[in-house]
Formats: sequence, C-alpha cells, structure tokens
Amino acid sequence: MILSAQDLHKHYGEFCALGGVSFQINEGEFVSVIGPNGAGKTTLINVLTGLLKPNQGKVFFKDMEITGIGPERLSKLGLARSFQLVNIFPNFTVLEFLMVAIVSRLGKGKNFFSSLLRDQEVTGEALEVAKLFGLDEKKHMLTKNLPQGDKKMLDVASAFALHPEVILLDEPTSGVSTSDKNKIMETLVSASKKIGIKSIIQVEHDMDIVFSYSDRIIALHQGKILADATPEKIEKDEEVVCTVVGQKECFKIFSSILSRET
Amino acid sequence: MRIPWEVTSLKSFRIVVLVVVSLFLLGLPLFTGQFVSYLMLTFFAYAITVVGFNLLFGYTGLLSFGHALFMAVGAYTAAFLTSKFSILYMEVILVASVIVASILAALIGAICVRYIKIYFAMLTLAFGMLFYTFLLKFYYLTGGDEGMRVLRPYLLGFNFSEVPKMEFLTGSYYVYMFVILAILMFVMWKIISSPFGLCLKAIRDNPEKAEYLGVSVRKYRWYAFVISAAYAAIGGALLAPAIGQVDPGLTYWTHSGTLVFMTLLGGFENFFGPLIGGVVYIFLQDKIMSLTAYWRFIFGGILAFIVIAAPGGIAGMISSLARRRKS
Amino acid sequence: MIETILNILFSGVFNASTLFLVAAGLQVVFGVQKVFNLACGSFYALGAYVGITVVKGLVAGGLPTPLFIFPLIAAGLLLGFIGPIFERGLIKFVYDRDETFQLLLTFAIVMMIEDIIKFIWGTSPQTTGGIDMVYGQLNVLGATVPVYNLIVIGCSFAIAILIGYILLNTRFGRIIRATADKREMSEALGINMTWVYVKVFTLGTILGTLGGALVIPAGAAVSEMGVELIVLAFAVVVIGGLGSMKGAFVGALAVGVLKSIAISTFPELEMLTIYIIVIVVLVIKPQGLFGGGRV
Repeated sequence: MILSAQDLHKHYGEFCALGGVSFQINEGEFVSVIGPNGAGKTTLINVLTGLLKPNQGKVFFKDMEITGIGPERLSKLGLARSFQLVNIFPNFTVLEFLMVAIVSRLGKGKNFFSSLLRDQEVTGEALEVAKLFGLDEKKHMLTKNLPQGDKKMLDVASAFALHPEVILLDEPTSGVSTSDKNKIMETLVSASKKIGIKSIIQVEHDMDIVFSYSDRIIALHQGKILADATPEKIEKDEEVVCTVVGQKECFKIFSSILSRET
Repeated sequence: MRIPWEVTSLKSFRIVVLVVVSLFLLGLPLFTGQFVSYLMLTFFAYAITVVGFNLLFGYTGLLSFGHALFMAVGAYTAAFLTSKFSILYMEVILVASVIVASILAALIGAICVRYIKIYFAMLTLAFGMLFYTFLLKFYYLTGGDEGMRVLRPYLLGFNFSEVPKMEFLTGSYYVYMFVILAILMFVMWKIISSPFGLCLKAIRDNPEKAEYLGVSVRKYRWYAFVISAAYAAIGGALLAPAIGQVDPGLTYWTHSGTLVFMTLLGGFENFFGPLIGGVVYIFLQDKIMSLTAYWRFIFGGILAFIVIAAPGGIAGMISSLARRRKS
Repeated sequence: MIETILNILFSGVFNASTLFLVAAGLQVVFGVQKVFNLACGSFYALGAYVGITVVKGLVAGGLPTPLFIFPLIAAGLLLGFIGPIFERGLIKFVYDRDETFQLLLTFAIVMMIEDIIKFIWGTSPQTTGGIDMVYGQLNVLGATVPVYNLIVIGCSFAIAILIGYILLNTRFGRIIRATADKREMSEALGINMTWVYVKVFTLGTILGTLGGALVIPAGAAVSEMGVELIVLAFAVVVIGGLGSMKGAFVGALAVGVLKSIAISTFPELEMLTIYIIVIVVLVIKPQGLFGGGRV
C-alpha cells in the first residue's frame, strides 16, 4: 500500500463534496478517478495532497498520516501533483520553471551565493526533463507565451522533476486535441518509468484513455465511491457506466463491448 | 557612434558600461560642486536601502510599507554608538546596525510573512509607526522629536576630525560609501542569480505552485525580509553621519512610501532599476522643492502616472524602447 | 469612578461613530471593487477642512449658530461627490491590476490631497472655534457629555441603519452584495459594472467626507489627520474583518472605545496601544470577527 484514503468527508457549508471516501492505492498501480463534473474529484485531489483539510477522515502515505500537512511537506515526502487549471510561473522560461523543482528536490534552495546558471547538475537535469516532455526546443521561451498544451505539459513535467514516488494528475489531457492525447499519455508513462515513479493517480474524463491505461478505475459520484475495480469489471457495470460516464460514452462503451463479443 | 543593438546584450559590453559608469561616479566630486556630491552621498545610502528593498518587493513580491523602520534602526544605531558610547569605528557601527536590524527583522518578519498583500503592507506599516511612536515618546532615550546627533566616525580606523566637514563628506566618505555600495550590489547580484533567488521569484510568480514544488514559501519570504532589512540598516547607518542628526521621521510611514516610490520609479523588474529611481528621485525632489512647496502633489502625480501607465518604471520604459528599436 | 467610565464610554462611542463612517466607506469600496482605498483618510480630512470653512463662513455671514449642523452635514455629503473624479480619472485604470499597484495608486492620491489641503488651508491647525458647545452639555451620572457628541452618535447610528436597509432591501444594495460576492456572475447578468463602481466609490467617499465634517467641531483639523486616520481605519477593518459592514460597526466600536481607554490611562502611548492591538489581532485572528477569504 502506498497511498490510502480513509473515510474522507468534506463539506462546504450545506454542500457535501466528499461523503465518506475510502480506497487504497498500491505500488505500481495506474489508477484513474472518473466521475461527472461536481462529483468531488478535484476536492479529492486537494484533500489527498494536503491543500484542504477534510472535515473527517485520514490520508496515509505508506504508513505515515499525511492528512492536511500541506503541499510543501508533501512534496518532500514523495508526492507531487499537477493541476487541472494550468498553474504556472508566467515569467519564467521553461528551463527556469523546471529548475525550481530540481533545486527544491536537491535541497539547494538555501544556496544564497552560488550561481544557478553555472550549476551543471541543475541545468543539465532541467534540460533532460525538458527533453523527456518534448519541451527542449522551447527551453528559453517564457511560460506565459507557450501554447496551452505546452503549459499543461510543463506543469506536469515540473511535478515529475520532483522525482516523486506517487504522482496525482488532475486532468492531464484536458483542453488537448484527441490526437495529442495519446501522445501525452505515452510521454507520461515513459517519463514515469524513466524517473521511477511508483504509482500514478489521474483524474480523467476521456474514457478511451481511462480504459486503455488504467490498472484500476475509481468512479466517484456525488462525493461517494460508486465503484472501485479493474476496467473490465467497470465496463460491465451498467450503473457505473451510465451514471458516471454519461449517455454518449454509455453508448460508445456498450457498442465496443458488443463489437468485442461478436 | 552607433551601437548595434546586438552588442548591447553582450556580457562584456555590459561590464564595460558598468566600469565606465562607476569611474564616472567615483570621479564626480572632482568636477561638480559640493552640493551635487552631497546629494550623491545621500543617493548612495538610499541606493543600498532600495536595492535591499527590491529583493523583497521586486523579486519576492512583498510590498512593505514599513521598510524605513530598518533604515531608522541603522541610523539610530550610528547615532547611539557615536554620541552615547563614543564608539567611532564605522565598521563596528555597520556590523552593529546589521545585527540589531537582523534580530528585529527576524522577529517582525516572523509575524509579517504569514500574510500577503494588503495585510502584509499594513502590518509592516503598523510596525514602522510603532517604532516611530517609540522613538518619539521615549525621549530620554532617543531624544524625542529632536532626535540625536551623529558624530563623525573613523573610516577604516583613520581619524578625519581635522578635515573640514564638506571636504570629508565629499572626499573620503564619498569613496567609502561608493565602495560599500559596489560590494553590496555585487552580493545582491549573486543572491538573485542563485538557486535561492530563483525560489524567491517563483514565490512571487505563484506561491501556491512554489509550495507544491517543495519551496517553503513562508521561510524564504522570511529570509528575504531579513536580508533586505540588513541592507536598509547599512543604508541608514551610512546616511546618519552624512546628515549629522537622526530623528523619528526616518521611520514615519511616508518615508517608507518614499522607498517604494524610488523603487517603482526606477523599475522594480530590473536589477539597476531602484538605483535609477533613487538618483532621479533625489535630484528631482531637490529641484522641485526649490520651485514649490507643493512637491508632494507633483510626486503624487508622478507616482500615479507610473502606476497607471508605466509600471515598469524608467528601466521598463527604456527596455521597451530598446525592444521596439530591435524589431 | 462611574463618571470616568462613562466619560470614557461616551468619548469612545463618539470616536467610534465617525470611525464607523470612514470604515464603512472603506469596506463598501473594498467589497465591490476590491480596492483598499488608503485615501479614505484624505477624504475624511477634506471633509473636516471644508466643514470648517463652510460653517465659519456661514456663521460669520449671519447664520444663527445653533443651525450650523445643517450646512455642516450638507457640506460633508456634497463634498463626497468629488469621488467620481478620482474614480474615473485614476482608480478605474487599475481595477484589473495587482492589489499592490492599487494600493500604491491610492497612496499617490493621499500625497496629492495632502498638498491640496496645504495649498488651500495652509499648515496651521484649524478649528470651528468650539461651535459644538452651542448645544450645551449633558450631565449623566456625573459625567459630562457635549450634546453635539450625542447628536453625532445618533447620526452615525441612523446612517448605519440606513446602510443596513439599503444593503438588504434595495436593488442597489443587492447589487452591491452580489458583486462583492461574485463579480463575473453579476457582469454576466447584465449589470452595468462601470456605473456600479462609480456609485459605490462615491458612496465610500461621501461616508468619508461626512465623517470628517461631523467630527471636526469637536476637535481641530491638522494636515496629518488623514494620514493618521488610515491606521485607525485599518485597525477597524482588521478587527471587524475586511469587506464586512457588520465588521465596520463592531470594529469601530472596539477601536473607538480602546482609543478612549488608552487616552485616559496612557495618554503618551495612545497610538502605541492601537498599533499593538492591530498587530495582536492580525496575529490571532487575521480575518477579523466577520471577515472571510484568504489572508
């Protein structure tokens, strides 16, 4: 077990965002969290990553309780996340952006006096990560001038640069054209292998991606877990598919199941 | 001589310019009057202060409306040591100012950096005014609103008391201050080009993301606060002998406002911006004050103009002009 | 003993009444436009100076002294209509900018108004010459309270109720609350934001100038009064919570009474106590009693 949530509750006044969510993620798993908008997915990620304190319940990383410890301590323990709405340093170049993560990871943040640009270790690694994510051509471009898809990639890349053991991705392929989505997923998977990330949790809406890449799917609906199982089992669960996934996807999945069974 | 713009980005070109400007500044007292040299002296003190201030404002994104507090701390330390304890070694005074200011900044900063923007600005204002009230009311200690005298210090152990005042100030003291300014600017340059500097800029641009990347936002803001306070203290301690008298007005919140004004005027996004702002402010203020008593109105107007139309300050305007020439 | 307490209470509530007006002006502008107007103190000062000029001029011209309060209030109200000049001329340019720049712009306005005041009225303190005493004093259990102070307290209270009514029951009030809460939605609903901003800023200015006008007969106008008031107004807002009208009321009461206590027990350290309280409140509960949002 690498990450577990125990009976998480979170409400905003009357509105209940999470109503008792529990699950366990194991080493080596690729888990997708799915659900319609408002199901509580982003709230879940915010609670898991310590940005929000749950009203009730605990989060554990390996055997350490990490409920609400805050993003900074979390990253030092080995958990990183990317953001659904792009969260960037607009005035940084791509390289500088990545260097922040690397400097922080290597504990060099307190070096008042050494020259950053002459630090081969940091600049070299930043370049490598940029290459891994296909951003090395644009390494000197200012983040605010990058196209939206690249901004997203950079956000994810910086999380990867922390060399976390577990990474949480909040809709990594949203806002990207379908043809690019697979490219992004392949980049993510190969990057995580290279860096040695043990488990990936992603919130995702695109069912093709979810079903192709996940070892397990957790379906969230109105703050509660509707299902937590392998893709094959979920496919066959009508309730999940139609509630969570929506009519259009419903139709797509059943027609693909049908075509497979014929 | 037309300078091709590509050359201006060469590192060696920049160093040449820096050396030329430095030599010009050093030699200034030789070919201008005493008054101009005296103004430059005050400029050096403010330059040190605003360079430190900009670490907090421009590079870390925190607006302090109480920064003059630390300048006052440095100035009053100089006054205390020279007139109450007859300690006249400037180097001792500088070190003492830095120590006192750093301790104070560590305490005040620990409280203030937990807040941002308006709250930070107003908290620092409150602390600055707290110190003002303290300086004013505890007059048996601090001289109240009359302030304290500052005696002429020894520079590097040399006693200059035989030298007439203006000659001392525009001669040895001028060079002394300039050298310290140059050293401190070099140190600041190293700081902002270091990994620490990168983290500060990250905190300025997006504190949440910085936190997620493992940067302890509060702690780093605190470091920046203490460093900038130390710079202000040195500036204040160097200013004190030049003006001869320190008074509580040094920490009044509008004096802090002046520091902000200088930084903004010159351009907070540029390393040399605050210096440009400092020199323009000082000479402009002198000029305008001789023309009218209502200089605050004019300066208020200038500040408003900068905020609305030219937030990058003078340095910002120069670089956007340069960019337009390039294309 | 009782007299001292009553004296402190009365002067505290009197301070609080005018503080409330200024703080309310601050809050409403912050709530809607998200601009913290440092110049609120300057408008307060302007209200005071104009109030003195108007009252002295009219009384010298033959106005019966007891009627002075009417032109005083009128002056305070009407002066507030200079608000749109600042709003349209300067403030509107920084609505979408960083809070820091908004603060600095209002600081520039503080500088300009300070010199405007100096230009028109000079630097020596001005007073109405004790005209507030024309209403006499009341003796309450041994404590003496100028009737004028009670009138001012009454006025402020009435205005507080009026503001509450406007906010809860009128269309304008609903718009204020809606935009304070969710700006984009209000815009999307077709509300003319420009007009709202002008009106709200004017309201804020009027409250400030009225506060200054009302307080001045009981004291003196000095050129630093605006600059000093901003720290007090900030204390009110810190205690009560940024953006909350209830907070302005409670905060003003707290600061007014505290200031009164400080003046009578440690007269030398009056402002010191205020600053310390501000710092303590900010450290213990930065959102204040009624405020919300991240600090």
